[in-house]
Amino acid sequence: MLDNFNHLVLPNINLLLRGLSVTAYVCFFAFLLAIALGSVACLVRLYVPFIRVVAIGYIEFCRATPIFVQLLWVNYVWPELFGFPKTVVGAGIIALALQSSGYLAETFRSGIEGLSKGQRDAGLAVGMTNLQIMRRIVMPQVVLVMAPSIVNQMTVVIKSSTLVSVIAIPDLMYEALKLVNTWFEPIEILTSTALMYIVAIFLISILAKRVSDHFRSKFGLAGLV
Amino acid sequence: MLGSLRESLDLTLFWEYRAILLRGLLENVYIFLGGAMLAMILAFAIGVARLSRRWTVRVLSTGYAELFRNTPEYVLLIWVYYVLPVIFSRLLATRFNFSPYAAAILALGASYSGFMSETVRAGILSVPREHTEAAMSLGMSKWMIMRRIIAPQAIRRMLPEALNQFVSLFKATTFVSLIAVEDLMYKVSMITVHEMRPLPLYTGAALVYCAIIVAAAQLIQHLSDRWRRRGWA
Amino acid sequence: MKRMAAIVRVVELRKSFGPLEVLRGITFDVREGSVLTIIGASGSGKSTLLRCLNYLEQPTSGEVYLDGKPIGFRIEADGRRAPDTAANISRMRAELGMVFQQFNLWPHMTVLENVIEAPIRVKRLARKEAVDLGRRFLSKVNLLDKENEYPARLSGGQQQRVAIARALAMQPKVMLFDEATSALDPELTGEVLEVMRALAKEGTTMLVVTHEMGFAREVSDRAIFLHNGQIEEDGPPARVFSAPTSERCRQFLSKVLH
Ligand SMILES: Nc1ncnc2c1ncn2[C@@H]1O[C@H](COP(=O)(O)OP(=O)(O)O)[C@@H](O)[C@H]1O
Ligand SMILES: [Mg+2]
Repeated sequence: MLDNFNHLVLPNINLLLRGLSVTAYVCFFAFLLAIALGSVACLVRLYVPFIRVVAIGYIEFCRATPIFVQLLWVNYVWPELFGFPKTVVGAGIIALALQSSGYLAETFRSGIEGLSKGQRDAGLAVGMTNLQIMRRIVMPQVVLVMAPSIVNQMTVVIKSSTLVSVIAIPDLMYEALKLVNTWFEPIEILTSTALMYIVAIFLISILAKRVSDHFRSKFGLAGLV
Repeated sequence: MLGSLRESLDLTLFWEYRAILLRGLLENVYIFLGGAMLAMILAFAIGVARLSRRWTVRVLSTGYAELFRNTPEYVLLIWVYYVLPVIFSRLLATRFNFSPYAAAILALGASYSGFMSETVRAGILSVPREHTEAAMSLGMSKWMIMRRIIAPQAIRRMLPEALNQFVSLFKATTFVSLIAVEDLMYKVSMITVHEMRPLPLYTGAALVYCAIIVAAAQLIQHLSDRWRRRGWA
Repeated sequence: MKRMAAIVRVVELRKSFGPLEVLRGITFDVREGSVLTIIGASGSGKSTLLRCLNYLEQPTSGEVYLDGKPIGFRIEADGRRAPDTAANISRMRAELGMVFQQFNLWPHMTVLENVIEAPIRVKRLARKEAVDLGRRFLSKVNLLDKENEYPARLSGGQQQRVAIARALAMQPKVMLFDEATSALDPELTGEVLEVMRALAKEGTTMLVVTHEMGFAREVSDRAIFLHNGQIEEDGPPARVFSAPTSERCRQFLSKVLH
């Protein structure tokens, strides 16, 4: 088995690492987009009358549609319907972002609603505008308090990203399956691939937990959630 | 654009194939039920083991939970379908194969048992130690306390969370088509190849899943609220 | 002369939590039908003492006997001590009723279910019999009308009375009360003390940890004052409460009484 590992995995490690970098690229931009979309959806849902319904519909649709279905839907239907995305990578990023933005919007909302009214009042009392209060007082606390959920969502994005290989984005999973189909030796290649994902996800959770613990104890927020 | 919008919302094509698609959806349901059953059994065993007094048991069960929680479901599915049979074949020195169904149930069950063991553990821990002590002071045995005092409270407290896990599990059944389980998405892609009209088919599938899951989520919300009002959850 | 027999015997009981020695050799007897009050400052080890009696805590050394039988260990044929089986420990615990400061009712069971759970599961009474028994004790604590309520809907005083009925329903030889009224609002302590007073009058053997000095003085046959894990004062309540010989006990009483 070790022999096979030397013959199969090591010579192709560059291929796998290139796949991993595509995974990282897709996940990174998907998560950024998800945060942007999620914040907008959350703010609209909370503060904009009338279009609130649209935001609720958007959030519910994103959360309720399985990622695999969304991925195929964005990839096959959107280009015809909206004229974009033009590339599969674009489709992958959008689908992953849609999915996560729904969850993030709800996470942000529960964070904002959990914040005491006194925090807002204190901002108003010193003459800050609503926008300033949101940006300077509410958001930082929400991000801090919700950090664990946000990180959790980051790992969900990575896990979901394994599916983008299906629409021929050359990510880690894609390269691994290609190797398996060339050599017909699944054990070493797929096990190594699985381990790469596990380690990546594990490292991110640990790192993020460290960082958020640090900030939470620094601001005395430990034990808030 | 409006024309294509109308076409994508024109779900008559989807409706024409309803019998085939429904059969596909049933496959999702079977795999969901099998996976949920397996996940529950494993989750209880692992959740209890994680609270064991023996550190070896604790370490092993925690490792199990962490491993499966951190493995992407799709990777696990592929691994179980392609790798596990090869390992078994070598161990047993015979040809061994999983049906796609067995692989799907095994992979999803194992995957979600990792998440759910955490729910089980938290549920058990949420029952105050004093309730156990009150039972001990009345002479109840350990097993009896688990069954009569801890489990009923723990299960009620973990139900809402567990139901949400089941919803995720159901969503995960959508990609078992990738190992050739003939589920709804499998049928959709087959029909698409045949009809060359992805818009109504994929949109229809998205709406069907969305509707099922929104309904399930509403039901769960309703139940959890009711349980909370009764002071259970 | 059965009433003179020691139903509880505690011999050189010691208990440490890691480096912290909480009980440092406690010895006393309790006669059947008598009431022993245990007083002492917070942290002096009163709860630990009661919990060692029914083996919720395992004593570090020393012995506890209930009606002549050791709790938590057996004397083997060759005279050596061996830890008792879990089943035997459970059986002994059932003979000591315990009432906790925080009531500890099981929230998923109604009042009546709380009371009949152990008679059915531990004593293996038929359900019908257990219900009769449960109702008898619920009426004793004046809560028969609440039998179908869930604990969350009762006041603290009512919950504690249910907890007393739950312990009594096992018809234990001895009742242990660990600050049964400390978690209650002042206006609710009366109804619980009333029940305890009635039990004492009927001749129930009771070990009572309390800060209700008036009550303790009135119902108990003997009081002990714990300090630093040892018995610092021991005697009839009239003497312990009015003329303690120990300076610490005097200080403690003056703090609690004023
Ligand atoms: N399970 C435990 N682990 C460690 N220390 C304990 C434990 N239980 C009690 N103690 C300590 O033992 C001492 C006596 O506690 P306790 O018996 O509860 O006192 P009391 O009931 O008189 O207030 C305290 O210092 C307490 O902190
Ligand atoms: Mg105490």
